[in-house]
Amino acid sequence: MAPLTYLQAISAALRDELRADERVLMMGEDIGVFGGAFKVTDGFAAEFGSDRVMDTPLAESAIIGCAIGAAVVGMRPVCEMQFADFISCGFDQLVNVAGKMHYRQDLAVPITVRLPSGGGFSGGPFHSQNPEALFMHSPGIKVVAPSTAEDAKGLLHAAIRDPNPVCFMEHKHLYRRVKGEVPDEIYETPFTARVARPGTDLAVIAYGAMVEVALQATADLDGASVEVLDLRSLVPLDEEAILDSVKRCSKVVVVDEANMTCAAGAQVAALIAEKGFEDLDGPVVRVATPDVPIPFSPPLEQAVLPGVDRVKEACRDLLEY
Amino acid sequence: MTSSSTDTLIDVTMPQMGVSVAEGTVVAWRVGVGDAIEAEQTICDISTDKIDTEVPAPVSGVVAEILVDVDQTVDVGTVMARISSSGGAAPSENGSAAPTEAAPADTATPEPEASVPASSGVTAPTRAASRSGGPGRRYSPVVSRIAAEHGIDLSTVEGTGRDGRVRKQDVLAVVNGNGHAGGAVADPPLHIESPYRPDPPEVGGTGSAQVAKAPAGSSDAGGVVTGGGGLSRIRRTIGERMKQSLDTAATCTTWIEVDMSRVEAARAKLGVTALAFVARATIDALREHPALNAWLNGEDYTRPQDVNLGIAVSLGEDGLIVPVIHKAQELSVEGLAARIRDIARRARARELTADDVLGGTFTITNPGQYGSIMATPIINLPQVGILDLEAVVKRAVVVTDSDGNDSIAIRPMTILGLSWDHRALDGALSAQFLATVKRRLETLPS
Repeated sequence: MAPLTYLQAISAALRDELRADERVLMMGEDIGVFGGAFKVTDGFAAEFGSDRVMDTPLAESAIIGCAIGAAVVGMRPVCEMQFADFISCGFDQLVNVAGKMHYRQDLAVPITVRLPSGGGFSGGPFHSQNPEALFMHSPGIKVVAPSTAEDAKGLLHAAIRDPNPVCFMEHKHLYRRVKGEVPDEIYETPFTARVARPGTDLAVIAYGAMVEVALQATADLDGASVEVLDLRSLVPLDEEAILDSVKRCSKVVVVDEANMTCAAGAQVAALIAEKGFEDLDGPVVRVATPDVPIPFSPPLEQAVLPGVDRVKEACRDLLEY
Repeated sequence: MTSSSTDTLIDVTMPQMGVSVAEGTVVAWRVGVGDAIEAEQTICDISTDKIDTEVPAPVSGVVAEILVDVDQTVDVGTVMARISSSGGAAPSENGSAAPTEAAPADTATPEPEASVPASSGVTAPTRAASRSGGPGRRYSPVVSRIAAEHGIDLSTVEGTGRDGRVRKQDVLAVVNGNGHAGGAVADPPLHIESPYRPDPPEVGGTGSAQVAKAPAGSSDAGGVVTGGGGLSRIRRTIGERMKQSLDTAATCTTWIEVDMSRVEAARAKLGVTALAFVARATIDALREHPALNAWLNGEDYTRPQDVNLGIAVSLGEDGLIVPVIHKAQELSVEGLAARIRDIARRARARELTADDVLGGTFTITNPGQYGSIMATPIINLPQVGILDLEAVVKRAVVVTDSDGNDSIAIRPMTILGLSWDHRALDGALSAQFLATVKRRLETLPS
């Protein structure tokens, strides 16, 4: 056990996998000599060589396409998108090729695509997005989104060892802000939800950076007992855990950092409406980023991203309902 | 018609007249569709099961719609009318034909927070809340399910959510026996009909049938409150409350004879009624026996600090109401007499507010002015006792002097009856209480 930041936990998982399994290799822009835009792979090229930690051209389609080919012949590639936003350039390879390969040709595509996502640092509209819902909507791709250092390492181990394409949504805002005890050994965190704090009056369902926002917003809500459910995995979605929370609390606030329409939380809300209806004691309330590009301006960005105050207000309102 | 795109339609809703009032009946409209109205001008008269009052217009403007008919009973919060606050737009000549066009179907309230677009990222539950507070009182799935599982009549469950909405915890509280099922338990304003006045004539069975099928909180009673055949609203409420009390409390009645000679002498001197003396003696007895100054809600038995004394006031044909003298223990006999006069006058003038009829801890009923001598009053739940003061009549009684010699004397006598709830106390205590009242009345300083 060692206290690691979220970023260090990701690096540790990658290093462990590279050491443990020679089929594992990494591809991405500036991940080799430079050590990655966020220094996740700092020192990797020296330790593992440029054959296994490959710098690529600025061509996400090529990165993912190469990874698919390598995976099909038995490798375990890990692709880094420098920013999650850039995945749009690799969309066809990921969604149409990787996601459907098993269905069409009975070939497993064990690739992991790391997607540094999320805003909060004035990255502007091209460097702040949360595109996870796009891949939730595409069959054949798993999507995970850790909120803690421990889960970041465990989920990345599990993603690399999973036989399917997995989008690993790593939140940039958490990289150096979140720190926690992380086991030294290799461990796989299951693709299930985690109760971050149990409660009975209201459940806040969130993932990624919004888990911490939810915890802060509901730490002291006039004595109300508020549960926070950290989804951790969006595909597969842990229906059982979600419906358990609904059963316990009967009131639910779903928080997304992504743009509201068709976000992961929309799927959660739909699930609750369909399968948790009998347990509801109020409307399923959503807090998300409005359907606008993320502004560069710091005050504007803070205004659109769901913050502690907005979540708190939504929770209070629903508790009173 | 009257609405241009810049008009704002302001809702006029059935006001909350007190924390426990769930519905109200429109008695009369003072305006019609198309009439101009000033803010604070009375728009209609309403009647709740406790009080009658006027509803002021929230804004100046033109009456765009009237949505509730006279004699119709609706839940608190229901939109009764809409005022177009156009700031001068005149109604068209064919105003009566067009009101449905005036209001867009959107019933959202004009509060700014309700207009947050979905794309802003927060879907406020306020709209849903205001809908559920409207006619037909809706319940959430979980509340409905729990009620069905436990056979709970939700119309009797007091809601603590927004606009009185019944929440999961409210129905769970009833399941667990801590809640207030039944409006009368939470909410004791109306007291017994005097047993000494003739009951309203039975209306060929229809009246009682309507009472039976119109539980408290039913918003569906529009057809019941009619002039000819049905019971009046207040009679209906009295009937429900009385029946509920008899069905709930273990009612026993104990009587004691009291020599009122001292009271008669003192009241002649002070120029007040015997009731004020009995009230003062009762308050003192309640301080000595606080078990009777109490509320019993299910298993929840509480003894309030103050004596909030309810006094039953007859409204003649209209029924009976029990205004409450709060903190009555702080008042002298003269003070009590003045307060009794005041609340009786205001009750008959229909000027009581909701607060005037809430919070009673014990009740005195005094129908004795008609000459009757004994009664079995019905307890005003959740109180645990009610004292009945009957006529003071001269009788030949045996009196014993200080030397122990008996003789027959003519004395003004009365019989005090105490109905008490055997769930909360036992007969010995009720007898002690009555003995205390008797002692205090018979030992007044002359």
